[in-house]
Amino acid sequence: MADKTKFHKKSGVHAFDVILYIVFIIICLIVIVPMWKVIVDSFNARGVYQFRLWPKDFTVNGYLTIFTTNKLYRPFLNSVITTVLGTLIGLALATLGGYVLNQYDMPGRNAFSMFLMITMVFSGGMIPEYLVMKQLGLVNSMWILVVKHGMNVYNLVLMKNFFEGIPASLVEAAKIDGCSPMGIFFKIVLPLSKAALASIGLMFAVTIWNDYSTVQIYIQKPDQVNFQYMLRVMVMDGDTPPSPYKNISQETLYYAAIVCAILPFMAAYPFLQKYFVKGVNVGAVKE
Amino acid sequence: MSRKQDKLAQQVLGDRTLNKKKLSTRIWNNRGYYLMFLPVFIFVLIIYYWPMLGIRYSFYSYKLRDIHWVGLDNFKALFGDKNFWRAFKNTLELSITKLLLNTFAAVLISVFINEMANLIMKKTVQTIIYLPHFMSYAVVAAIFTLFLSPSSTGFVNETLKHWGVIDKSIDFLHNKALWRPIFYLINMWKETGWGTVIFLATLSGINPELYEAADIDGATRLQKVRYITFPALGNTIIVVLILNLAKVLNMFEPVFVLYNTRVLDVSNVISTYIYNKTFLTPIPDYGYSTAVGLFKSTVGAALMLACNEASKKVRGRGII
Repeated sequence: MADKTKFHKKSGVHAFDVILYIVFIIICLIVIVPMWKVIVDSFNARGVYQFRLWPKDFTVNGYLTIFTTNKLYRPFLNSVITTVLGTLIGLALATLGGYVLNQYDMPGRNAFSMFLMITMVFSGGMIPEYLVMKQLGLVNSMWILVVKHGMNVYNLVLMKNFFEGIPASLVEAAKIDGCSPMGIFFKIVLPLSKAALASIGLMFAVTIWNDYSTVQIYIQKPDQVNFQYMLRVMVMDGDTPPSPYKNISQETLYYAAIVCAILPFMAAYPFLQKYFVKGVNVGAVKE
Repeated sequence: MSRKQDKLAQQVLGDRTLNKKKLSTRIWNNRGYYLMFLPVFIFVLIIYYWPMLGIRYSFYSYKLRDIHWVGLDNFKALFGDKNFWRAFKNTLELSITKLLLNTFAAVLISVFINEMANLIMKKTVQTIIYLPHFMSYAVVAAIFTLFLSPSSTGFVNETLKHWGVIDKSIDFLHNKALWRPIFYLINMWKETGWGTVIFLATLSGINPELYEAADIDGATRLQKVRYITFPALGNTIIVVLILNLAKVLNMFEPVFVLYNTRVLDVSNVISTYIYNKTFLTPIPDYGYSTAVGLFKSTVGAALMLACNEASKKVRGRGII
């Protein structure tokens, strides 16, 4: 009798594990198959658009088209430039602001904090923002991406939360040794925050690289748009620049463009996964 | 801390000049920090506060260079516009359904991952399902627009025809009945995996002794999931819902990249309504668009403050 119950329990556990494995494989397939299909079709010269998971006429001309056509590589370069610059400015502002908000004996700290928090609750809206940017001469300029995403109050608060974890004794010791606020910031606080800088920097980079709607609203000039916008215009409006290679279909070019649009982060992702994930945990489950 | 000490000193000594002198000294001592805050201050002022001045245009008519006061006319026109109310309703329906579906799927998958004993499998699944989060909405929309295309290059239609499931291609994204389900599915594909991050963090914090105690009491695996794992997630689920509820009206890009004029009835949200009124109209009235924006920001701010209070009740700290 005892043996029988034991047997039942064991087989029950076993069945549960099998179900788990099946569910996991299905979930992974749901995520991977569309991505795999995109990669496959980006190498597919003449599409056989059925359930084929391997390219039929292998070609790299889709990619060659992107990197030899000015109308396509220019937006890619714009994306790289705005992402790098925006991330650097974003990190600078987030660390400066986050550090200052941690100075609890500074007069006016609460006012500064309020000054930032109000922006998280209330905003002028899309149109007043547009009119301001127009006055600043940022309409039809890719720098709009840097200006708009460079200041992010949410990331600033994340940075502040991280700085709070730095032992106060370290800072005190530096103060006693006559280190200035700037000196403490650059020589002690920043070197201790490399992990936070990496994850918050990645958050900035992903936001800026992936931004499409800002470009759609603000930029019409072809030499100022970013790659996400170009991709969108090609696929949705069919506005494709002529390819120097005649033997590929338009879809090949589209899929190659999609791969290029996700490549930077997909390439970095396996190595930086922990930094990608960390940002969320710092912000969300700090209990 | 030192402020408390100052107050104490003031009370004990009754000396006001001491405090005054101290404040100016304190400001001088902190001059480095003010300097460090200056760039942040300037950026926030320009990007966030300057546009707030533009809210006054919601009481003006603003066409081309002609700006004149119209009082509350914009709001009257707005509240009388059937399309606006439809957009308002769509915003709530789309974002709340999306939020509930994504959260439900994320909770379910988190519990599955938590049950997985094989560590390598666990890490692999996590790595894979986080991936789509890092693709932009423009990319995701491009992928699924190409896949779902009714032309001979659409992979889904061609495959279904090849397998004999359908005879004629279906124009998925231009079909009013199908647009919303597809919208929800695409959003689940993109965000469910990432949504598990926060739930898995909570699950990893469950005391293993609870499971051991349940083992000793002879609980089955399902019973352990039912009575230990799910209750542990309750609080986190509420927090996630509150955090996202505050931003319900902001829905823009997910819809913007997928909608089209043929499914406007079921897909137009407030932000796309503003966009269409401003950038797709030959002579836009910036005053009217600003009024719509003001309505949205005001309701949004009220929602945010309400959710902040709710968050304070649930977890003891606000969201802002």
